[in-house]
Amino acid sequence: MSHMKIELEINGVERTVEASKSDSLLDVLRRNGYTGSKRGCDTGACGFCTVHVDGEPVKSCVEPVTKVRDTSVETIEGLGEQDDLHPVQQAFVDSTALQCGFCIPGMIMRSTALLETNPNPTEQEVREALSDNLCRCTGYKKIVEAVLDAAERMDSDTAVAADGGQAMDGDGGAATVTECALGDCDCMEGDQ
Amino acid sequence: MSDSDRVRETSKQPEGTERTESDPAEADRESETGAAREPDRKPESERDAITVDEEKDDARKIVTGQARYTADYRDRFPDLAHGKVVRSDIAHGYVESVDTSAAEAMDGVDAVITPFDDVVPDKLYSSSGQSYPEPSPWDLKVLREHVRFVGDPVAAVAADDPETADRAARKVEIEYRELDAVFDPEEALDEEAPQLFEADDVENKQSGADYSQNLESHFEGELGDVAGALEQASDDEKRHVIQTEWETPYQSHCVPEPHTTIAYTDEDDRHTFITATQVPFHTRRQIAHLFDVPIRDVRVKKPRIGAGFGSKQEMAIEPITFALHLAADRPVKLEMSRQEEFTALRFRHPMQMQMQTAVTDDGDIEAMDLYTLSNSGAYGTHGMTVANNVGTKPLPLYPRVSNVRFSGDVVHTNLPMGAAMRGYGAPQGHFAVEGHMDEVARRLDFDPIEFRLQNAVREGDLDRSVAILKDGDRFTRTIRSCGLRECVERGKAAIDYDDLEQPDEDHLHRGVGMALIAQGSGVAGKELGAAQVQMNEDGSFHLQVGGVDTGTGADTMFSQIAAEVLGCTPEDVVVIAADTDLTPFDYGAYASSTTYISGRAVKNAAEDAKERLLEWGSKLLEEPPDVLDTGDGGVYSERTGKRVSLEEIGYEATYGDDEREHILGDGNHSTDESPPPYGAQFVDVTVDTETGEYELNKLVFAADCGVAINPALVEGQIEGGEHMSLEYATSGDLTFDEDGNPDVLGFRQYGMPRTTDHPEMETILVETHEPTGPFGAKSIAELPTNGVPPALSNAIRDAVGVRLTELPFTAEDLMAALDDQSGAGK
Repeated sequence: MSHMKIELEINGVERTVEASKSDSLLDVLRRNGYTGSKRGCDTGACGFCTVHVDGEPVKSCVEPVTKVRDTSVETIEGLGEQDDLHPVQQAFVDSTALQCGFCIPGMIMRSTALLETNPNPTEQEVREALSDNLCRCTGYKKIVEAVLDAAERMDSDTAVAADGGQAMDGDGGAATVTECALGDCDCMEGDQ
Repeated sequence: MSDSDRVRETSKQPEGTERTESDPAEADRESETGAAREPDRKPESERDAITVDEEKDDARKIVTGQARYTADYRDRFPDLAHGKVVRSDIAHGYVESVDTSAAEAMDGVDAVITPFDDVVPDKLYSSSGQSYPEPSPWDLKVLREHVRFVGDPVAAVAADDPETADRAARKVEIEYRELDAVFDPEEALDEEAPQLFEADDVENKQSGADYSQNLESHFEGELGDVAGALEQASDDEKRHVIQTEWETPYQSHCVPEPHTTIAYTDEDDRHTFITATQVPFHTRRQIAHLFDVPIRDVRVKKPRIGAGFGSKQEMAIEPITFALHLAADRPVKLEMSRQEEFTALRFRHPMQMQMQTAVTDDGDIEAMDLYTLSNSGAYGTHGMTVANNVGTKPLPLYPRVSNVRFSGDVVHTNLPMGAAMRGYGAPQGHFAVEGHMDEVARRLDFDPIEFRLQNAVREGDLDRSVAILKDGDRFTRTIRSCGLRECVERGKAAIDYDDLEQPDEDHLHRGVGMALIAQGSGVAGKELGAAQVQMNEDGSFHLQVGGVDTGTGADTMFSQIAAEVLGCTPEDVVVIAADTDLTPFDYGAYASSTTYISGRAVKNAAEDAKERLLEWGSKLLEEPPDVLDTGDGGVYSERTGKRVSLEEIGYEATYGDDEREHILGDGNHSTDESPPPYGAQFVDVTVDTETGEYELNKLVFAADCGVAINPALVEGQIEGGEHMSLEYATSGDLTFDEDGNPDVLGFRQYGMPRTTDHPEMETILVETHEPTGPFGAKSIAELPTNGVPPALSNAIRDAVGVRLTELPFTAEDLMAALDDQSGAGK
């Protein structure tokens, strides 16, 4: 195996990793302990390995490692801790939107990318955004509900912060759903 | 049927003699166990830890990426070698030679094994992961000299890294002597057809086997006189005989985590497997037998697993991994590729079925006759037993029909092997039975739902059809809980059955279809679960249980059942599960057994520990144990209201001055019971008669699973089961070319539904109380995989009057049926 060194940022930490030319980003992540990203197909068809590269959702199993030199990669391990979950993670837990869990890290990374660009998606927009990510256990119902719920939580957090209130607190600020501070906006209507 | 290993005659009661409620023996048995059962039934106000949406105990691990599946253990093995399997690229033939020299010469290659190596057992076995001896033929070898489908494993490689293993595997050269192959099950039965197995290629043959015509099994069973009833009906103008035919394809489990195993031998010389399995104890036994090592020297540990759906009931890759480990003398990980999952592992059996009934003008069903021809593929794992369940799951929906016949043939072809898959024959069987019943109702101008309910099962019914393939009546069952009618009523309301609005466009037609559903709760008479509870001094508990959480949330359910008995919270119960060194025995997670069997074992263990808690509570409260109970984290007196906390009991029992005791409880559960959960699947569809395209508007599933220990997890089971059922009805299929090469190599060619393919879903839980289940619970996991194909066929029939009978339903099929219909009308 021909080795080379790749410099990149993983979850905010500058790393230099060893890689061979044929390695995918997923190969390198998993070899370096970021095993939250799952190998489901190695062909970019299931989405279990979804991570962010410079903020964009990417299927890491078909992303050549040579393409991520000097980029910023975020994996599920960078999102939240078990006792300090990101609102999207918290929503998946609270909605029981998971069973075996193998697709969930990719599903959550895809969902956070969606909510970055579209903080108030409709149900249809959530379904379209997640359509590259397969799940065999849940029938997707509770997953879609979780993403809509997360949007609400994040929206109300942001709204409270913009209103001069407290920003997201230490425990993610998302365990309880608060009324949307924007009053008559339609962000609650996404909930089915 | 002479299925001797599964049948034990216990009763001399003549066939056809029905037990009644007044039967003294039965009444005795009821009253004897009735008293013990009564505390099981709890009104909602008295439930603490059950029927609660308790957070799944691994949820936070999962959402943070910390949950460890087998492949995630790689960092614990610095010298881990990576395996790769070399598979047959012909459908049928003999391996003449294997040249491994080029692969072995490569740097970083640790071992190359072939069928001719000593570390590879030259022994027949079944990979089925069933009880012992398996009700499946022993027809497999670990690596195969005689290959019988494209994908059969011939050789395997272990190397320092996956890339080297892949390259080395491609350098293994195999020469074959090709044989003629057969791909169609009906052709395979022909005497001129190529024969897959010689008589001595198989041990532990199953009922009715005749390998000279590729017949793995033939079986039949009958209640009453079906031929007589059919003949009488065909001669009578007030009676009708209706026959229908149905066909189903291969379906892939699409198991999220591919089959993965790490095998190593530890410092105590014990062979250890970290493996994605539904059956750790069966795997331990099968490995021990196959490699001729003592059971005690094998340890199987199940980490988190990325679901199974039956595919991981199979011991599919553990033997190859172990042989590679022995050859390489270092830990080996073998991880299947997605292509191997789609081409070489395990699938739902394709089937062709015929259903015939005799029905009176009044809508009474007088006879049912069901036949199935199952394509077992190249090997016989679960071949007979899956086919058996085609009848024994759906026919019990109609237990009052007095003449019932069920028969089947299970046939080998040179295609991938069928095996256990969620539903286990019931999805095929429900398609035939519930599609048929709907067709009968429509042809005879009955309301399809009323016709079904007129004949369908009720509480108190004696169900003999579940045991139609068994001798004697040991497995005849009394239905003690049945919420089927409430499922139908609530489902009808949810789908707007009586107020369906038709679209404005002339070419769009909307319809609703319904299917009744039944499953079982474990394999009657073939289950064992066991558990042990240990108290810690702080009032928490360790629960050791053999039961296997495949991702369903079973570990959480166990903690809820234990907590409800012990009076603590589920968080106070640490679950240690499914490790053959650390936990009591369990048959494993299959046949919808985990809540009903393993959950009941947990309850028994907790009740055993509770007795000791009450004893110690009695000492500390100075009141007799029989006025004490557990609850709210302590033991309290129902007489005086005084209480002592579990923590006080824990410290006193562990460190007390006078005497000390580690508070323990153990529990077993085995039974001949397998109470059916029931469901009603509704589908609302719109059909475009110009194109044959159809769109599902809504799915409703109403389920009676007894008492739902964790309703949110139950809903998840239902919605996920419907997902698989939706795929089966609309998009899932595997096809092969004329040489038996697979067309479907991955998700891109396979129609697994995505978020955008799912219609609105509504899930309804109908609570009943099953007196034999833990706190009234039955099963849920497989029930919802059975309904969409018949309900959608029925909905399309309702919308446009044509009947689709072959899965999956395509727009082309529907258009062709519409064309036939308009042609016939002219």
